[in-house]
Amino acid sequence: MKRRVIRSIVLTVSIALIFSWIGPAQAAEKTPIVIGFIHSMSGAMSMYGISSEAGGKIAIDEINAAGGVLGRPLKMITRDDKLNPETGLREAKDLLLSEKADFLTGTISSAVALAISNYVKREKKLFIVNISQSSSLTEENWHRYIFRIDTNAVPYWGYAPAIALAKTWKAKKIISLGFDYETGKNSLKAFKEKYLQLVPDAKIIDELWAPLGTTDFTAYITKMANSGADAFFLACIYGGGELAFTKQAYAFGLYEKMKAIQPCAGDVETWYQVKKGESYPKGALATCRYPFWAIQDPKSKAFVEKHQKLVGFWPSYGAMNQYFIVYALKDAIEKVGAVDTEKIITALEGMTLNTFVGKVPIRAYDHQAMMPNWYGVMDFSPNLTFPHITKVDVIGEEGYHSVDKIKALRGGK
Amino acid sequence: MTWEALAGQTLSGISVGMVLFLIAAGLSIIFGTLKVLNLAHGSLYMTGSFLCYGLTSLLSQIPGAYWWALLFAPILVAVLGGIIEIFLLRRIYDQEMLYQYILTFALILILGDACKFLFGVGYQTVAAPWPVNGKVFLWGLSFPVYNLFLIGCGLAVFLGLIVLMRYTALGRNVRAVTYNREMANALGINVPKVYTGVFMLGSYLAGLAGTLMPPMSVVALGSDMAVIIECFIIVVIGGLGSLPGAFLGAIILGLLNAFGIYIIPKLAVAFAFMLMIVVLIIRPWGLLGKPE
Repeated sequence: MKRRVIRSIVLTVSIALIFSWIGPAQAAEKTPIVIGFIHSMSGAMSMYGISSEAGGKIAIDEINAAGGVLGRPLKMITRDDKLNPETGLREAKDLLLSEKADFLTGTISSAVALAISNYVKREKKLFIVNISQSSSLTEENWHRYIFRIDTNAVPYWGYAPAIALAKTWKAKKIISLGFDYETGKNSLKAFKEKYLQLVPDAKIIDELWAPLGTTDFTAYITKMANSGADAFFLACIYGGGELAFTKQAYAFGLYEKMKAIQPCAGDVETWYQVKKGESYPKGALATCRYPFWAIQDPKSKAFVEKHQKLVGFWPSYGAMNQYFIVYALKDAIEKVGAVDTEKIITALEGMTLNTFVGKVPIRAYDHQAMMPNWYGVMDFSPNLTFPHITKVDVIGEEGYHSVDKIKALRGGK
Repeated sequence: MTWEALAGQTLSGISVGMVLFLIAAGLSIIFGTLKVLNLAHGSLYMTGSFLCYGLTSLLSQIPGAYWWALLFAPILVAVLGGIIEIFLLRRIYDQEMLYQYILTFALILILGDACKFLFGVGYQTVAAPWPVNGKVFLWGLSFPVYNLFLIGCGLAVFLGLIVLMRYTALGRNVRAVTYNREMANALGINVPKVYTGVFMLGSYLAGLAGTLMPPMSVVALGSDMAVIIECFIIVVIGGLGSLPGAFLGAIILGLLNAFGIYIIPKLAVAFAFMLMIVVLIIRPWGLLGKPE
C-alpha cells in the first residue's frame, strides 16, 4: 500500500517535470500568429465552411513552408458558428480571449458577421469577412475594424447582371421572378437601378414573387412563358429553389422561348452534380464568383488542385477569398513590421492585392475589396462535367456602389 | 387572358394538384378509418423522395433506375408506415387526441433528422426518366411530358382506390371498420389488421407521391412541412375522410394557385386559405364530406 502511494507520487512528479520541461521549450520557439476562423462547419451551409477553411489552410501551409511571417509561423483556429449569431459571437470572444487570436476571419451568415462586427468594434480587433454578402456590413454598418475581401450582394445579385446584360443582349422587356424576402427585393432593386440607367428604354413588365423556399414554380413559369417578355431575371433564387426552377423551366422550354438572366447560376456549388443531358440553365447569362476553369494563372490551377486534394471537391469562391485574406494579412504585417492591429488596418486601407485573379484594390473608404465579378453564358464544354459559364468576361469596380452612393446611404441612416 | 395562357395555367395547376392528391388521399383514408390525424404524413412523403434519390443513385448503372425506384421506394415507405402503426400508434388509440398529435409530431422530427443523417443536407436531383422526359406541344405551348404523366398517375390512383374501396372484399372490410368498429369486430373482421393495412396504404400513397415529385423538383429537407399544410387545406376543402373530396380539393387548390399567380400574384398565397375559411363557414364538413 505504502509502496503504491510512493510510486504514484513519483509518477505524478515526473509527469509534472516532463511538462514543465516541454512548456518553456515550446515558448522558446517563435509563437505563431493566430488567425481565428469562424464559419458554418456543420449543417446546410457547411460546404462553404469546409471549403473556405481549406483555402485558408493552403495559404498558411505555403507561407509557413517559406519561413512564416517575420519569422513567426501562421496558425488558423477554426470554430463553428452553426449559422447562429449568438454562437458566432461566443466563439469570436473565445478566440480572442482564450486563444489570443490576432485576427478574426470568416462567416457566411450576414447575421453572424454583424454580431462579430459589433464585437470587434468594441474590442478594436480586425475582422475580415470572406463570404457574408449583405452590403450593409461595409456600408451602413461600417466601422474601422471590419474589412471584406469578397464581393457583396449589390454587385453580385444586381449591378453585375445589369452591366452584363447591357453589354450583351440589351433586353427590352423583362419579367422578374424572385423569392419574396428582403435580399430578393434588394437584388431586383439594384438590378433595376443599374440596368434602367444603362438601357433607358428597357422595361420591367412584371414582377413575380414566390414565397421563400418554393420548389414548385410551374404556374410562374407558364405565366412567364406567356407574358410576351423577351427575357426573364431571377432575383435571388438560389440553391434548391434555383435547381427546381431550372428543372421546371427547362422542361417547359422557357430557355428557348426567352433570354435568361440567372445570377448565381455560374457558381459551381449548385451545378457540379449536374451532368450533360440533364436540365441546366441553358444559354442563361449568369454571374460567378470564381470561374477557375477560365482563369489562366497557373497559381489558380495549383490552388484548385490543392483544394481538391485537401477536401475532395471543387473550390468555392469562399476558399479563394480566404486564401487571399491570409496573404493580405501577411503582406500587411510585413509592411508594418509588427502584429499591430491599428497599423495593419492603415496598411490594408488602399492596399492592392496581387492575386491570381489580377490586381484587387481594397477601397479605403469602405474597406471593401474590389473583387471582380465574372459573367458568361451557361453551357457545357469538353473539359468539365458540369454546366458552367462560358465566354467569360469580368466586371470590376464599376459593379460596386460608388463611394458617393455609400456616403448617401450612411448619411440617410 | 389568351388561350395559351389558359391552357398553360390549367395544365400546370392540375399536374401539381395530382401529386398533392396522392398525399392528401393517404392522409384522408388514414383519418377516415383510424381516426388519426397523421401530422407526420408529409414526412412519409419526404422519406419517399429521399428513397427515390437514394435508389436511383444506387442503381444508376442499371437502365431505367428511376422505374425501379418508383416500384420499391413507395413499398419501403409502406413498410415503414406498418412499423409505425404496429409499434407506436397502436398503443395510443384509446388515449386522448392530444397524444396522437404529440406522437405524430415527434415522428416529424425523427424522420426529418433521419433523412438529414442518411442523405445529408444538400439538394439532390433526379432526372426525368425515359420515355416521359420529352416535351409535347399542346395549343401552341410546349409542355413537359412528365407533367402529363403525373396527371395520368393521379387519375389512375384515384380510379384504382375507388374500385378497391367499392368493389373488393378488402374494401368492404375497410368500410365496415370505418363505419362501426365494434360491430365489424363482432362480425369477425380482424380490426387491428385492417388498421395496419390502411395505414400502410396511406403511407404507400405518400411514398408514391414522394417518388413522383423529384424528377420535376428537388429533393430537400423541409418539403415535409410544405406539403402537409397544403394537404390539410385540401382535406378541409374536400372533406376529411372522403376520397372524392381529396381529389376535388386537390384540383381546386392546384387551379386556384395557378390562376391566382396568373391574375393577382401578390395574393396567390392567400387564395387557398381564403377558400378554406369560406368552406369552413358554409360547409364545415367539407364539399364532399358528411356532417357528423
